Amino acid sequence: MLKKYLLPRLVQYVTVMLIGITMVFIIPRLLPSDPVEHQLSRMTAQGQYLDPAAVEDLRASLEELYGLKGGILQQYITYWKRLLTGNLGPSFAQFPTPVTQLIRTSLPWTIGLLLTSLLLSWLIGTTLGVVAVTYPNSVFAKVAAVLAMGIRPIPYYIMALVLLILFAFVFPIFPMAGGYSMGARMGFNARFIFSLLRHAFLPVTSMVVLEVGGWFLQMRNVASNVVEEEYVSYAEAMGLSRLKIMLHYITRNAIAPQITGLALNLGFVFGGALITEIAFSYPGMGYLLYSAILAGDYNLIMGINIFSIVGVSTAMLVIDLIYPLLDPRVRYQ
Amino acid sequence: MPILDIRGLKAYYITRKYGHASRVRAVDGVSFQVKKDEIYGIAGESGCGKSTLLKAVSGLIKPPLQVLEGEVVYDFEDQKLSILSLREDRQRRRIRGVRISLIPQGSMSVLNPVRRIRESFRDIIDAHLGTVDEARFNDIVRTHLDALGLDWSVMHAFPHQLSGGMRQRITIALATILKPDIVFADEPTTALDVVVQRGVIQLIKKIKREQMNTVIMVTHDLAVHANLCDRLAIMYAGKMVEEADVDALFSNPRHPYTIVLLKSLPRLGDRSVRTSAPGAPPSLVNVPSGCRFHPRCPEAMERCRSEDPELVEVEKGHRVACLLEEGSR
Repeated sequence: MLKKYLLPRLVQYVTVMLIGITMVFIIPRLLPSDPVEHQLSRMTAQGQYLDPAAVEDLRASLEELYGLKGGILQQYITYWKRLLTGNLGPSFAQFPTPVTQLIRTSLPWTIGLLLTSLLLSWLIGTTLGVVAVTYPNSVFAKVAAVLAMGIRPIPYYIMALVLLILFAFVFPIFPMAGGYSMGARMGFNARFIFSLLRHAFLPVTSMVVLEVGGWFLQMRNVASNVVEEEYVSYAEAMGLSRLKIMLHYITRNAIAPQITGLALNLGFVFGGALITEIAFSYPGMGYLLYSAILAGDYNLIMGINIFSIVGVSTAMLVIDLIYPLLDPRVRYQ
Repeated sequence: MPILDIRGLKAYYITRKYGHASRVRAVDGVSFQVKKDEIYGIAGESGCGKSTLLKAVSGLIKPPLQVLEGEVVYDFEDQKLSILSLREDRQRRRIRGVRISLIPQGSMSVLNPVRRIRESFRDIIDAHLGTVDEARFNDIVRTHLDALGLDWSVMHAFPHQLSGGMRQRITIALATILKPDIVFADEPTTALDVVVQRGVIQLIKKIKREQMNTVIMVTHDLAVHANLCDRLAIMYAGKMVEEADVDALFSNPRHPYTIVLLKSLPRLGDRSVRTSAPGAPPSLVNVPSGCRFHPRCPEAMERCRSEDPELVEVEKGHRVACLLEEGSR
């Protein structure tokens, strides 16, 4: 059973990553611009005089550095060799800082921000959805549905700006920008952590407020179908408590799509949240990717994409692996 | 002394669409009594209100179903209670599964698909006996399964791993684990093949013998009733039209509907073509005036259009709701 279930999925996992990473290799090479020429022309445009022999030398060493030496096959092999040793090459725009280092400084911010808001909104939305279905005639259920549908269509940037204006300008409770206070020493001490939380509060809130509605509605829709199932009315007929029915009969049978959604979104965390980062001047992957695209820094673009590909396909693998635990019927299909 | 006394029960499905209320009169003024230790059968075509009657009587009333009138009184030896006046949540829950219990239709989806059978037993026992320890739990369930002739190994299975017949047997075991005083069986043999049906009927008989409970059996299958029941009531379009001991009802049916119904049954050795009542049961939204059976009744009279006959006793223990009976009273 393990062989039958696990093996095809592992093969699929590896295949998806191979194809994805190969695409990342091919696409920039289809672009009409040549990064070596780009770099050379940038150097000559600065007014430096270079004699043709030196230009040739420079071209060769740049090609070597960028992994553009030789035919396409040789480049592909070099690409994989570097990838497997954890080398994503230098950034073009911030030459010669390695891409891995740029990602390493941005990734913790993004993961902290997105993971927190994703988990919070998922937890709140899912719980509220089940409660609303279990008590369909309560005031709570009606108010929650109206709020969820009312808030969800608000464009994100408006929500972000409103929060900023209200809680950073009109009532200056929270800071306007940044990930931590200027001049605070990074480290594991109370002051720094407090500053970190204070800065993260508004961006996290803005995302949670908007995302809770989606999770709530999805959970409510699935759960309201589950409630109609015979096993739920039978549980009622046998005198089981509301709480028991809510947890083990409704939630347990309605949770699968929520878990899929959560896992997929976990995979997307690596891409960052551009608008949040811009609105709150928060450091992170979104802005890194954005500036990489503007600067044509495609080593960096490739690096971030590889992270995303690994993230999303790992998330898919995890979903596949936990599904049989969620629904025993899946095991034999 | 009746263990269950139902008086003038009216249960309608009331839905509102665009401000217009539509009322499905599924149970429309039903009165009957069930004696302790008997098996009481309720028969009728699909859509005549049998299942709704069960729901109302066991207090499982959820919108759009509403009970408009009537009383349902249980008289257990140590306790007398009127279920419709109990508060839905706590009080009704306390008697469900313990004093009154339900065997639902023989369908596939009564058991929670993500829970092992063992956990389903746990849920019911914990809900009523508090959290019992493992040894006591095993003891209760094992004794019960042994008595029903079910194998212990099913406890570790998921519902989808069991056959339809086995699932129905498990459901019956679940419904009777706490030795309820009254068991309601809602079409327990529907959707099962005849061999399994026979097993299920025998199982119900066995439980009844051992636990001495009262059984109320609802099904459209008259053969099942003939096999199992002591008394039988026939329902038509939300009303009870005849009620008698099973033998009396099968040998001496008095209501035209019952007569037509019995004529449609195949009999051993009789090769003539079976007849049935023309037409279909009426919609319960627009019920016919007068006697509800009159549009299909072979003996309908002018009076039947306007007068609604009451269920009256014509012989000892034999009640009929038909205007033809007035002379014989």
